[in-house]
Amino acid sequence: MTADLSSYGNEALPFVDSRIYSDPALFEEELQKIWKKTWLATVHESELPEPLDFRTLTLAREPVVILRGSDGKVRAFLNVCPHRGNLIVRRPAGNLSAAEPSGTANHMTCMFHAWQFDGFGRCVDIPRQKQGYQDRLSKDDVRLTELPCTVAFGGFVWVSLDKGIMPLADFVGDAFALMREELETEPLDIFHYHKAVIRSNYKLWHDTNSEFYHDYMHYFNRATSMMQKGYFDRRYTAFPNGHCTVGSMEVKYDAYQGVGDRPLSFPGMPRNGWKMVDLFPGTTYNIRGSSLRVDTMTPLAPDCVMIEFRGIGLKRDTTEERARRIADHNSIWGPFGRNLHEDLLGITGQGVAMRPGTEPRRILHGRREDGTIHDEIGMRHFYGEWARRMGRSPSRPDEAAAAAAE
Amino acid sequence: MATEPETAKAAVQALIYRAALLLDAEKFTDWLTLCAPDFTYRIETYSPEIRKRMTWLQHDVTGLRAMIEMLPRHNTDHGQLSRHVSVYTVEIEEGGSAAAAVSSFLCHRTMLDGINAHLDAGETQLFLAGKYYDRFRLDEARPLFIDRTVLLDTRRLDKGSHYPI
Repeated sequence: MTADLSSYGNEALPFVDSRIYSDPALFEEELQKIWKKTWLATVHESELPEPLDFRTLTLAREPVVILRGSDGKVRAFLNVCPHRGNLIVRRPAGNLSAAEPSGTANHMTCMFHAWQFDGFGRCVDIPRQKQGYQDRLSKDDVRLTELPCTVAFGGFVWVSLDKGIMPLADFVGDAFALMREELETEPLDIFHYHKAVIRSNYKLWHDTNSEFYHDYMHYFNRATSMMQKGYFDRRYTAFPNGHCTVGSMEVKYDAYQGVGDRPLSFPGMPRNGWKMVDLFPGTTYNIRGSSLRVDTMTPLAPDCVMIEFRGIGLKRDTTEERARRIADHNSIWGPFGRNLHEDLLGITGQGVAMRPGTEPRRILHGRREDGTIHDEIGMRHFYGEWARRMGRSPSRPDEAAAAAAE
Repeated sequence: MATEPETAKAAVQALIYRAALLLDAEKFTDWLTLCAPDFTYRIETYSPEIRKRMTWLQHDVTGLRAMIEMLPRHNTDHGQLSRHVSVYTVEIEEGGSAAAAVSSFLCHRTMLDGINAHLDAGETQLFLAGKYYDRFRLDEARPLFIDRTVLLDTRRLDKGSHYPI
């Protein structure tokens, strides 16, 4: 365990100050010190199967376009026109082979003044360039800003806003060791996407993904897991840079009325197994037998976060296998599933009780059960990294630079 | 079941509206009595993000009944869903033994909890927009649903729901 508990207030009973979930100034500081300085999982490569396929998104308020080039390589660019600062690619997804009203096919075109860029980020057309700029501006001066971008860990596109970021492999370290076979043996494919905007702080969702004590909220989990052999043996393992994993157990899905066994799995995954990888600052990989769910977050305000949910199967799935995976996924994780609604209600209530301006409160992170499933070591480990990056203790966040990086 | 096409169309329309009232009243077991034993139910939508049609819920009658029976064991926001339905088309198949209908719906949620109840309880929000694609069996004493596909326009459901739509 590498978390610095000395930054955690009371070592006998660790707690955080509720202002870390609500303070607007701390939120702005987090965007600068964490979200603009880290690797973030974004879309899955199967969302960009063909050359010139694109996806757009926002990272720490910065518009980003992810594009598979004509050479097959996936790249990320700031999606901002260097002319007048307009958004360039406006749709959530598509392919550049279709011409836009302001531009020609195979290019990203800013509709405002028809500046065009190719799949490598090069500016290829500035209307009436010579007449307007004479020799004072060349197309080479205004290529799009390319961002660090790597496809890894099950085919996810990882992007950073920090051009000096450490290699992704160093950032993740061995955190995927328990899931490597499931993710890397063969290509994966997305079958589910939906998003939720919740009035709550982003860390509260990651906290929920990092502790299992809240299984008391889920009848489904009590019946199929907590009451079953092996649940209290599941262990957390902490990794450098704030990541954490949770070991597997055999879930008894048929202990819940109307839900059956999950005969499908992933390569290397035990039948009806359940593994999780929580990555700092807000990505979770969660495999339950036949389906992989990946959560990514876009913090919008101290009391507002967008969470994107993806469901992933094997690319080689037959039609019948894919339908089975989708049904398994939806039973608890779809927008009409048994568990997700409850989880989102959980952090909505926290968002109400810790909204900006409420009095500071102690939020306990103090369960210790030898690193097993109801231990809150996952949250404490996250906040060790949070403290290192923010230079603040999560239990005394108003003391600037009180707990500088160790 | 009367075989006059206009009578059959009127009966199908009445059945769709009756189903909406029962769903609004959360009388889900009564709603299932409007359905044939081989009824199938799906909630689907198209995602422009991943450019795929997605299934978000799919059940037969047995699965729906199990889902409904388990509802009291689950936490919910107790939001009251109400459906405004407009039946656009009813097509009676040749021979008069089956029908298909397309209806538009808006589903509103009147909040009770799951948010700041002091402030927000009583507020009605638009939760979902979409269409019902229904199929019916007409060759029995009364028309029965044999299939419903709820095709959602709305894709950002935020907290989601435990209830059939």
